[in-house]
Amino acid sequence: MRKFLAALLTLCLALTLVAPIAMAEEKVTITFAFWDTNQEPGMKAIAEAYMAEHPNVTVETQVTPWSEYWTKLEAAAQGGALPDVFWMHSNQFFKYVSAGMLLDLTDLNLDYTPYPEGITALYHYEDKQWAVPKDYDTIALAYNKELFDKAGIAYPDDTWTWDTLRETAKKLTDAENGIYGFGAPNDTQSGYYNFVYQNGGFIFEDGKSGFDQEATQEAIQTWADLMLKDGVSPSLESFTDMGNDDQFQAGKVAMVFVGSWMMSAYTNNEFIKDKFDVAVLPQGKQRASIYNGLGYSGAYNTANPEIVKDFIAFCGSEQANILQAQNKAAIPAYKGTEHYFTDLFTNLNIACYTEMIEYGVQFPFSPNKSLWEGTETELMTSAYTGEMTFAEACNQLHETITEIEEE
Amino acid sequence: MSERIIQADLRSARKPFRFKSDWGWAYLLIAPTIIGLLILNIYPFFETIILSLQKSQGLGPVKFVGLKNYQKLLSDKQIWQSTVNTLYYMLLTVPVGVFLALILAVLLNTKIRGRDVYRAIYFLPMVAAPAAVAMVWKWIFNAEAGILNQFLVLFGVGRINWLSDPNTALLSCAIIGIWSAVGYDLVLILAGLQSIPTSYYEASEIDGANAVQRFFHVTVPLISPTLFFVVMMRMMNSVKQFDTIYLLIKSNNPAYKKGVTLMVLFYREAFEKFNKGYASAIVLFSFVIIMVFTALQFIAEKKMVHYE
Repeated sequence: MRKFLAALLTLCLALTLVAPIAMAEEKVTITFAFWDTNQEPGMKAIAEAYMAEHPNVTVETQVTPWSEYWTKLEAAAQGGALPDVFWMHSNQFFKYVSAGMLLDLTDLNLDYTPYPEGITALYHYEDKQWAVPKDYDTIALAYNKELFDKAGIAYPDDTWTWDTLRETAKKLTDAENGIYGFGAPNDTQSGYYNFVYQNGGFIFEDGKSGFDQEATQEAIQTWADLMLKDGVSPSLESFTDMGNDDQFQAGKVAMVFVGSWMMSAYTNNEFIKDKFDVAVLPQGKQRASIYNGLGYSGAYNTANPEIVKDFIAFCGSEQANILQAQNKAAIPAYKGTEHYFTDLFTNLNIACYTEMIEYGVQFPFSPNKSLWEGTETELMTSAYTGEMTFAEACNQLHETITEIEEE
Repeated sequence: MSERIIQADLRSARKPFRFKSDWGWAYLLIAPTIIGLLILNIYPFFETIILSLQKSQGLGPVKFVGLKNYQKLLSDKQIWQSTVNTLYYMLLTVPVGVFLALILAVLLNTKIRGRDVYRAIYFLPMVAAPAAVAMVWKWIFNAEAGILNQFLVLFGVGRINWLSDPNTALLSCAIIGIWSAVGYDLVLILAGLQSIPTSYYEASEIDGANAVQRFFHVTVPLISPTLFFVVMMRMMNSVKQFDTIYLLIKSNNPAYKKGVTLMVLFYREAFEKFNKGYASAIVLFSFVIIMVFTALQFIAEKKMVHYE
C-alpha cells in the first residue's frame, strides 16, 4: 500500500513538471505594471477586453504605488526582469530610452494622429516612437462649496488672478478652528510649477535650468508666501501629518490645486463628493496649467514582442480609451473620447480640465530629471524652514541641475 | 589526567587523515551557511567597495572616478548632520532600551501572577511588521488628531509637532525604536537570568545582602556577558536603523535635516536619487562607524564583562 502511494505521489509530481511545458506553446502570460490604484479598474477592464479577444493570452496587472514604482522598475531594468508592458512618465522616459530599456513601437499597427501631438512627441526619441499615449492631465482649482457658502463668497471663476486667490483665501481662513483658505504645500506639478509658468518663468527649457530666472524665483516666493507670510495655508508641519489632498477632502482647506487624476478619488469620497467643484486656475501675468501625458511602454527584452506590441496597440485603440474613461481612470488621450470621462461627473465643471489644454504647459522634464528631483524637494524644504532664502535655494538648485545635465 | 592520555592514544591509533571522510562531511554541513554568506554578504561587500569608486547614476554608463565620491562625502554637510543624528539616535535608544529591558526581565523573572501573559505582551511588538508599527505610531504622534497630543491638551501642556519639529522628530522615532525592541532584549536577558544558579542568591542572602545588593553584586556580574551581547546588538541595530525613520521623516518634512540618519540618507541616494556610487560611499562610511563602536565595546568587554 505504502509503495503504491509513493508511486502515485511521484507520478503526480512528475505530471506537474511536465504540464506547463506542454501548455506553454499555446498560453502566453504578459505582465502589465502601473502605479495608480485609482486607475486599477480601468486598466483591468482593458486587460480583460484584450483577453476576451485573445483567449490564449493572460494579462497580469501589477500595481505598485508611485513612491516605489520607479525604484522597483529601475531594479527590474538592471536585472533584466522588466514587466512586459508598463506605464511611462515624462520625468523618467529619457533615462529608460537612452539606456535601451524600451521596446521600439514605431512599426506598431497604430495610427498616431488621434492623440495630442505634444504627448506623442513626448515619447519620441531618435526618430522612433517608444510609448503610446495613454491619457493627459491638467491642474485645476478645486474648492469647497460649503465653506464658500458659509463665508458668503462667490465661487471662483475664470476672472480670478493671484490677488483674488490670496484675498479670498484670507477671508476663508479661520486658523483658530484649523480651517485654511488655500493649500500651498511644497509640491511641483500641483504646486508652484503652475505659478512659475503663469509668471512667465520656466523650470527647464532647451537644455537649461530656469531656476536662476527672476520670474521663476518670484513665482516660487509668491507661492511660499501664501503659507509663510499671508498665513492662508496650513503649515509645512501640518502637511507632514496630513497631505494637501487629504486636508481638502477632510474639509480643512477650502481651495487646492488638483490634477484631473484625483477626480475619481474625490468623487468616491463620501464626505467631499457633493461639497466641491472645480474651476480653471487663477492667472498670474498669463494663463498656464501644467499638463502631462502618460504612455504605455514595452520591455526591450520581452519574451513575446509580437504579443506585447499587439497589446500596446490595443491599449492605444479607441475601444481601450473609452474603457479607461468609463472606469474613471483618466482623461483619455484618444481625441473624441474625452466626453466618456467628463460625462461621468455630472455635477462638476469637469470640462475646465480639457479647456485648459489650450494654454497648458508641458510638465517640465529634462534628460536627467530623476537625478535632481529629490534635491529640489530638499532645497525647497530648507527654504520653507528659513534655513536659506528661496532665492538661495533656487540658485543652488540651478547649479545642481546644470552640473548634472551638462555631464 | 588519565582520561586525556587515553584520548591522545586513541587519536594516534586512528587511521591516517582522510579529507573525504573527516573534513568533507564537516564542510558539506556548513556549506549552506558559508555559500549563503559568500553570495549574499561577502561578495556584495566587495562589490560595494568597487561601486563606491565609480560614478553610477540611473541606468547610464558606469565611470571610474577614484576617490571623488569620498571627497564629496567629506564636504557634504548633510553627511555630518546625519552622523550626528545617527549617534544621537543611538544615545537615545541604547541606554534607555537596555536598562528598561533589564528591569523588566528582572521583574518577569520573579514569581508574579500572569508572568507568561506579560512576557507575551512585551514580546508582541517584535512580531509586528515595522512598516505597520510605524503607521500606527504615525497616528499616535499626529499633531492634531493623535492620541498623545489629546492627552497633553487635556493636561494643559499643549500640542507638540512630534514628527515635524526638528527637536522632537528623532526622539519620537527613538520611542518607537525602544518600544519595538524592548521585548526582544528582554527575552535574551531573561535567558541569562535563568542560567544563574540559585545557590549564589542563597549564599549572599545568608551573608546578609538585601535585594538591591543582590542585584548589583550577583545578578549584574553574572549576566554581564548577555548584557554585553545585547548592548552590542542594540548599538549596531541603532546605526542600521532604517524603516521607522524612512517612513516617518520624508524629504518635505521640516525636521528632515535633523532627523535623517545615515542609512536613510544612503537609501535616498541609491534608490530615490538613483546615485549608487555616492550611496555606496555613504554605506561604507557608516560601516566604519559600526566598526569603531564594536572595537570600543570589545575593549570595554575586557574590563567590565565577567565570565565565569
